[in-house]
Amino acid sequence: MQGGPIGRVVTAVPLRLWFAFATAVTGLVLGWLARLLTGRLLRRAGVPVVIEGTTFERTAREFGTSTVAILAAIAGYFVFGIGLFAAIGVADVDYVAQFWNAVAGFLPRLFVAVIVLIVGVVVGDKAELLVSERFRGVKLPQTGVLPVVAKYSVFYLAALIALGQVGVATAALIILLGAYVFALVFLGGLAFRHLLSAGAVGTYLLLRQPYTIGDEIRIGDVRGIVQEMDLFVTHVETDGEEHVFPNSKVFTDGFVRIHS
Amino acid sequence: MATLRESLDDFVDGVDRLFLFSPSASYYERFADGDVELTVVAAENTVNADAFVELPLTFDNVRDRVKFGIEGAMDRGFVTEGDTVACSVSVFDDDPDSLLRVRVDDSVRSGVYDLFTDSRADSGVVRDVFDVAIGLGKKGQKGKPVGALFVVGDAGKVMNKSRPLSYNPFEKSHVHVGDPIVNVMLKEFSRLDGAFVVSDSGKIVSAYRYLEPSAEGVDIPKGLGARHMAGGAITRDTNAIAIVLSESDGMVRAFKAGNLILEIDPEEY
Repeated sequence: MQGGPIGRVVTAVPLRLWFAFATAVTGLVLGWLARLLTGRLLRRAGVPVVIEGTTFERTAREFGTSTVAILAAIAGYFVFGIGLFAAIGVADVDYVAQFWNAVAGFLPRLFVAVIVLIVGVVVGDKAELLVSERFRGVKLPQTGVLPVVAKYSVFYLAALIALGQVGVATAALIILLGAYVFALVFLGGLAFRHLLSAGAVGTYLLLRQPYTIGDEIRIGDVRGIVQEMDLFVTHVETDGEEHVFPNSKVFTDGFVRIHS
Repeated sequence: MATLRESLDDFVDGVDRLFLFSPSASYYERFADGDVELTVVAAENTVNADAFVELPLTFDNVRDRVKFGIEGAMDRGFVTEGDTVACSVSVFDDDPDSLLRVRVDDSVRSGVYDLFTDSRADSGVVRDVFDVAIGLGKKGQKGKPVGALFVVGDAGKVMNKSRPLSYNPFEKSHVHVGDPIVNVMLKEFSRLDGAFVVSDSGKIVSAYRYLEPSAEGVDIPKGLGARHMAGGAITRDTNAIAIVLSESDGMVRAFKAGNLILEIDPEEY
């Protein structure tokens, strides 16, 4: 190469460092692209509308950003981080690589953990909103506990996955989760078993309509006119008395249709 | 101007209670700390009033609206017979523009409140059927006026006091009044003769029913036709109520226990 200070600098720096530099710059560009793309994709998928009103989104808004922007930034930094590690690899700096290799193995998992946490918090908030809206018509103060339970269940799951990602021992927490799910399924099934069986029979009754409103039937000792039937119960009216039978009773006892 | 103010003073003298019909929050606040007890009559209790009567329909007729509010208040024990109440209502626009002084006595009890809250069918179902009938009365079927007869509540008994005119189009279906599709469906089926039977919970049990009640002792205004007679009579024999859309004059009328309770002109809604 000819003289000139720039030319000398170029030749002084080893070629692989130039490659490393190029890799880092490519990583930067790709990271920026990833950030743009993720933001656009999330927005196109209608995420901002869905998560509107959740606590996380509101907090993000207070800091002048938004959930979508945060997620996009994380994706961007992730890609940029990969580029940076690739650059270090290309530069082949020995003692640095020793340390960074361990970090490089750990970082992706950390990223996933952070994303899982954010998604978990947003989904939990959303679950709380949905459940509380569902119960808005029910004017019973005690139902206020259900949205909170739903929210923290989702939080707990998200935290569990995130901790598992970064390699924290979560065995005890998983046992706790198992106990919780077991209680939910077992006790729920126990509590709702009559409703469930009545509902199962009710589906048949509503689909096939072996009797309908206005028919005279006998269930057990009660003989009367069917006034109302829905998924769970059948109303049978005798003289001035309206009997309400769970539909499961209609099946276990059988019923008699009376043609007059 | 002194005499006008004085006459107003006389007007509100000895009033036991003030009825506010669909008040805005600020309007309610103005009276909230006043010396007279309040009753709010509105579709929804948006002002969190202690004494509240729910208004299922926005009665265009002020008499009906006031009667409904006072009846509801009597039913809940806010007022008793012999009380004098003032009612702040809106006659022309949404803002309250008039003050009425009403003495609460038995003549106020027209049964309109009873019709909605004390019928066998849920009050929401009664309101939905009214909505359907009013909608049908407004638009008619393909521009022509139609008549319709809805028998609401006590469906089992009504079915046993009627017979089918033809196949029941609602057999094995699970359509409830208030479902969005119902308006269209009923519009089409309204050209069929006969009555619609609606159950307590709002399920449309049958169309095309020929009602066979005993019509004796039914007192309905002269000049109304067979549809009204049948509707009025079935409410005597059963605990149902009948909501009838007249084909000839386009009015919606409600019957309970054989009596004409309420008359609404769909065009005014």
